[in-house]
Amino acid sequence: MNKAIATTIGIVCISIAIGSDHNNLEKDRPLRFDDAYSTAYRSFEFQAGFGVDTFDRSKPVYNLQFEIQYGFAKNRDISIGLDPYFTSESGKLVGNAIDLSYFEGVSREIGNNPAFGYRIDAGIPISGGDGAEFRVRGILTKTLVHYDKIHLNIDYLQTTSGSSGDRKSRMGAIIGYSNPIGYPTRFDRTLLAEFGIEQGMTTGSGYNSWIGIGLRNQVSSTTVFDFGVQADTSRTSGEPSSPLRISVGYSMNF
Amino acid sequence: MSLLALILGVSTFAQESPRVQSPMPELPVSLPGWLSNRGADALFYKAAPYNWAINRIPAFAKDMYATSVGHAMAYEALVTGKSQELESKTFVTIDRVLKNPPSNPIDEAEISPRFVQKYGYLEKVFDWAHTLHFQTIDVLMHPGWSDTQKEAEIDRLWAFYSSEPYAISGLPTNMEYLDSFPYSGAFRKNYPKVNGLFWGYHWLQTVNYDMLFRVPTADQKPQYALIGQRYHETELYRTDRDFMPMTAEMSPRFARRFPEVTNAFDNLHMLHDNVNDILAQPNLSDSAKQSQVKIAIYRVLASTHRGEKPGEGEPKTLHDHRFPYGMPGMGMMVGSDESSMYMSGMGWMDMSECAHCSIPLPDEGPWGATVSAEGWTMTVRCMMCARDMAAETPGRAIIRAATEDENRLLVMISDEEGNWTSNIKGIVFLEEFGEHPNCSLWSRVFTSRSAFDIFVAKVPELKGAKALSLDQWSKLNYGTPDTYRKLNRPNPYHKDPPIRLRERRDE
Repeated sequence: MNKAIATTIGIVCISIAIGSDHNNLEKDRPLRFDDAYSTAYRSFEFQAGFGVDTFDRSKPVYNLQFEIQYGFAKNRDISIGLDPYFTSESGKLVGNAIDLSYFEGVSREIGNNPAFGYRIDAGIPISGGDGAEFRVRGILTKTLVHYDKIHLNIDYLQTTSGSSGDRKSRMGAIIGYSNPIGYPTRFDRTLLAEFGIEQGMTTGSGYNSWIGIGLRNQVSSTTVFDFGVQADTSRTSGEPSSPLRISVGYSMNF
Repeated sequence: MSLLALILGVSTFAQESPRVQSPMPELPVSLPGWLSNRGADALFYKAAPYNWAINRIPAFAKDMYATSVGHAMAYEALVTGKSQELESKTFVTIDRVLKNPPSNPIDEAEISPRFVQKYGYLEKVFDWAHTLHFQTIDVLMHPGWSDTQKEAEIDRLWAFYSSEPYAISGLPTNMEYLDSFPYSGAFRKNYPKVNGLFWGYHWLQTVNYDMLFRVPTADQKPQYALIGQRYHETELYRTDRDFMPMTAEMSPRFARRFPEVTNAFDNLHMLHDNVNDILAQPNLSDSAKQSQVKIAIYRVLASTHRGEKPGEGEPKTLHDHRFPYGMPGMGMMVGSDESSMYMSGMGWMDMSECAHCSIPLPDEGPWGATVSAEGWTMTVRCMMCARDMAAETPGRAIIRAATEDENRLLVMISDEEGNWTSNIKGIVFLEEFGEHPNCSLWSRVFTSRSAFDIFVAKVPELKGAKALSLDQWSKLNYGTPDTYRKLNRPNPYHKDPPIRLRERRDE
């Protein structure tokens, strides 16, 4: 598998979440954006996900996501996760990084002011992996018409690995949208959509972008099932494009 | 004594004092700092094996989950300028959810986003108290623990709840005072149907504790068939209540054991009513409403009453923590004193007495029984009082009674014809009719014939007493006892003098 794919997967799979409520939006469950709220104080949440990336210039990549989060203080949580992936090219499961995250919800939505939070993610190499990746994400969440919300995520990414022609730092942004489906007669589903843009990995390259749509469905009092589809809408030269990225996941808090 | 009262010879009028009318409250010098916190401060419930045990009775769980909808939708309507739709469109919407309840809990904040934008601090108080509501139910419905373990855990839950600054006081609070402000009563007056729904599900939220407390888990579900039916057919749509349902009225056994939890629920429900009334004020600015909501929160917070004790405090003030004799789980009500209170639908009651024979309830030992029928629950001294009181009431009834084994609660449910079923097979009744002051001695129930024999052998005056089967006992009826003393006083919630006159002439 080429390095670009591995890097892409590595970044996508750093995840954290808030409580297992279909309305609480969690990065990678199933889309990439976050809302500005942390997991509840004293809550643990376990997440598991499975995804398939259908790259246009290589064989599909299958990835797994496991993560556990803990609300260690009011409006603050930490998480640790593993994201092993499997490519039919290499024929083996690779899991050489551990993801650590810190999230803080600074402010809830008050009056016309959006909720604000931020997160810091670190992908730390283990067992032969090389280079660490860091991301700082600022998040704004604001109610739109009534029940629907918009979520603006601004990312700064820094990597310690890569060749001389690669960017060490990049910027990205995602506009996410969420809207509960079925109000006011049913209360167990939320529709999600996003449009994201991110600087390409090669120095001097342009922007990559993607769109996604997903659904979070409350299964029980403590569990949520999610399903999402994403597609790259533009990709800088040299980076493989993924016309279809499918993910399913399950979250449970305790 | 007024001239009118003298003419009518109504001596009880002399004991009445005017209803408290408090001025519009002003912000206290210092409000708790957390009210200004900008964080969402979401709290998780206490991690425990009993969580979500409520789902063991799916119909009950769904009805409880649906209760999250009503206030949230009404608040959202009030803060988005749709108050004119409350009694029509909003009522229909809430009612539809209550009739088709969700299978999973609902996050109130998600269905009232505009309300939470303005009153996020209030949502913290509500959420945390609702968590206590649900976890207390979960403990009581957990199948793996003894009653002793459950009671110890509820004490721990109360401590867990109280550790947060959003905790509501567990002290009894004077409800007359809390409902005495210029805005008080506006919501129930202007939006009686929606308020009826609110008080209807406050009825459900308070009646369930005696359905569950010390009741074997297998015997909890059959009761909900009756309670759930009553809830959906009647309680949700009542617009004739004088006041919100009080927990101690609906679940007196639980209230006596856990007065702090019970008082916190009542104070929470009163806060709901205060907020309803404040938001329904057309003449208050947004800023004034914000201030009044903060003051209403302040009034019921545990931190406001730190160091104060139940049974103490200046009457009819914020710090009045007196309670009716025998019921530490309830604050003083409109017109009540330590020995009597007015219960909507039942009239004047003395909670320290048997509701059927008016003989004082024993301070210690088996507590007798409770009778639940027509939406009310009353405590009685003996099985005879329980049966005969249920027989006086149309419709189905539930009797929960102490047996000789403190770990085995008798739960009996009647059908429309008064035929009883019991959760304990082979129960045996003692009923050797005698003087009512001793009825708790000669009218009892036992889990077995041997237990009956042991008890009778210890009491000489019961020598030769017959053991009655459920069928034999059910056929008996001694009617209203001679000792029954009805407190003939007017409804204190009706301030209009002509109503008093009319009631008096009817008596």
